[in-house]
Amino acid sequence: MNRLLKRAIIFIGFFFLLTPTVFADVKRIYDEADLLGAEQIQHLEEQAASYFSEWSTDFIIVTTNDTEGKSLMSYTQDVSDDLAEELNRAEDNMVILTIYIESSEDREAYIAAFGKGKEYVDNARVQLILDHIIPPLSDDDYFGAFELFFEKSAEYLNIRPGVNPESLLLNTYVQLAVAIGLGGIIVFFMAYSSGGRSTVTSGTYLNRNNSQIVRKHDRYLRKTVTRKRKPSNNNRGGGSGFSGGGGGVTRAGRSHSGGGRKF
Amino acid sequence: MVIQYKCPNCGSDMTFDAESGSLSCDNCGRQDNIENFSEDFIETVFEENEAKEYHCENCGAVIVTDGDTAATNCSFCGAAVVLADRVAGILAPSLVLPFTITKQQAEQAFRKWCKRGLLTPKDFKMADRIKEITGMYVPFWLYDLKNEAKIHAIGTRVRNYTRGDYIYTETKYYDVYRDLRIDFSRVPVDASEKMDDSLMDKLEPYQYNDLKDFKTPYLAGYIAEKYNYDADDLLPRVKDKMSKPLDDYIRSTISGYHSVNYKDKKIRTSKSKSLYTFLPVWMVYYDYEQAEHIFAMNGQTGKVVGKPPLSKAKIAGWFASIAGGSFILMKIISFIVTGGINF
Ligand SMILES: [Zn+2]
Ligand SMILES: [Zn+2]
Repeated sequence: MNRLLKRAIIFIGFFFLLTPTVFADVKRIYDEADLLGAEQIQHLEEQAASYFSEWSTDFIIVTTNDTEGKSLMSYTQDVSDDLAEELNRAEDNMVILTIYIESSEDREAYIAAFGKGKEYVDNARVQLILDHIIPPLSDDDYFGAFELFFEKSAEYLNIRPGVNPESLLLNTYVQLAVAIGLGGIIVFFMAYSSGGRSTVTSGTYLNRNNSQIVRKHDRYLRKTVTRKRKPSNNNRGGGSGFSGGGGGVTRAGRSHSGGGRKF
Repeated sequence: MVIQYKCPNCGSDMTFDAESGSLSCDNCGRQDNIENFSEDFIETVFEENEAKEYHCENCGAVIVTDGDTAATNCSFCGAAVVLADRVAGILAPSLVLPFTITKQQAEQAFRKWCKRGLLTPKDFKMADRIKEITGMYVPFWLYDLKNEAKIHAIGTRVRNYTRGDYIYTETKYYDVYRDLRIDFSRVPVDASEKMDDSLMDKLEPYQYNDLKDFKTPYLAGYIAEKYNYDADDLLPRVKDKMSKPLDDYIRSTISGYHSVNYKDKKIRTSKSKSLYTFLPVWMVYYDYEQAEHIFAMNGQTGKVVGKPPLSKAKIAGWFASIAGGSFILMKIISFIVTGGINF
């Protein structure tokens, strides 16, 4: 009896250890505007699933032809509230991209990020992602834009908040150029100064007791004033048309970062 | 006329001892204070034709000199001799800065300096091919310069402020006038034709507290040269040398402006004094790869100047490690900044 109990415990233990984490059949790509082929959707679903296992963050894409009369931001908020309720995660980490196609001239994209997604994909980084994905979107390359959206979002989740992920200082070629320049300058200076340098300064031979200002004046002559317009914060993205900045709070009370742009 | 110093005790030749700062006898150890020596002959004007040939008083040999030598050693018996007529009359120095570094210390300091060179070849660092180390009193003029500067300039002060949607930049212009008196003291310029000017300039600074009134015994045992250029000849050089310190002083009196634009600069420089002075320099002659390299050492402070040979391999090595090291450092920093945190 005792042995049997032991075996049962060991068996149950093994059962828990070996049971693979079963992925619930979560749907993350909602292509209501019918922009993607079945294979493309399948591919994006797989990618989103693997990102979830890596980052515990749901990467969601919604396309639609109808925002039910709401702004794209409110529409995105409502969709995301519904999804959050359905997924019922312990941690509400989500990055969502919605594409609204009214006509081929009137298209808009909006990105919202929640939880740790909000922390790492903040308003500024949302704008950076938009900078990347708007060009392919304008060229009707939706699949390419969505892949890029996944790629960039995941990349930024890896980068400490507050750091500009597109900073040139993080670029390998720039770093290489700086390293070579630094080496060259230092070695040149070493070679240059190997023969000894004069350590005399401008003050070495100055006779301070006898050097003085005999007479001086500082007379005001005139003044000029020029003005320029304050740079506005909403001018990001240049020619890509309208850019909406900032996040908000959904009806369900979930706060998020975000930003959108027409294309 | 030559001057030689015979030890009153034993009759040996005495030389200047850099360590004690006195005239000393190697043979019996007697030391004589130099300050008390009388130098009556310095005022003497020698006859033009008197000093064509100098003879050693010890051995009678002809002392080999060129036209500039003021002190040397007899090449036969080694006795220290000073050529009196070349440090007398208008050639009489006012001041001398005695050697404080002995020949032995100079050699040690030079070897140490060779080892410190980061880019010099390994076999040069051994410093085992020093051909000769010569203590030399180099003739300098120490100038006291008086400058009167009258400066007109336009200075601007810039202020930014915001009203509504606009950023305003207000620039105020001022008429700036300065009438300055700027004095420089004891600026050294080497007066020997043989010496490389830039090499001599790099030997500065000297500590002037130790300057002494000139007495010939200071030269005993060293080479000394008389000047080739007089104080008026070298006035342009000293003016040029002081032009940056002069500009720096002028700029330091105009403060509180964002920009200063000089309209008119009138500077009058005059020489208020020039003192003929012997400054101590150790010349080091070094053979390396069939070429002679010349280095100079400040005989008072031990500072070494002169171009050492550079090793291409070491230059490449340093470049590679600095560039490689900083590249890796930047990569580590960007890893910490970016990839360091996951969730
Ligand atoms: Zn003696
Ligand atoms: Zn002799």
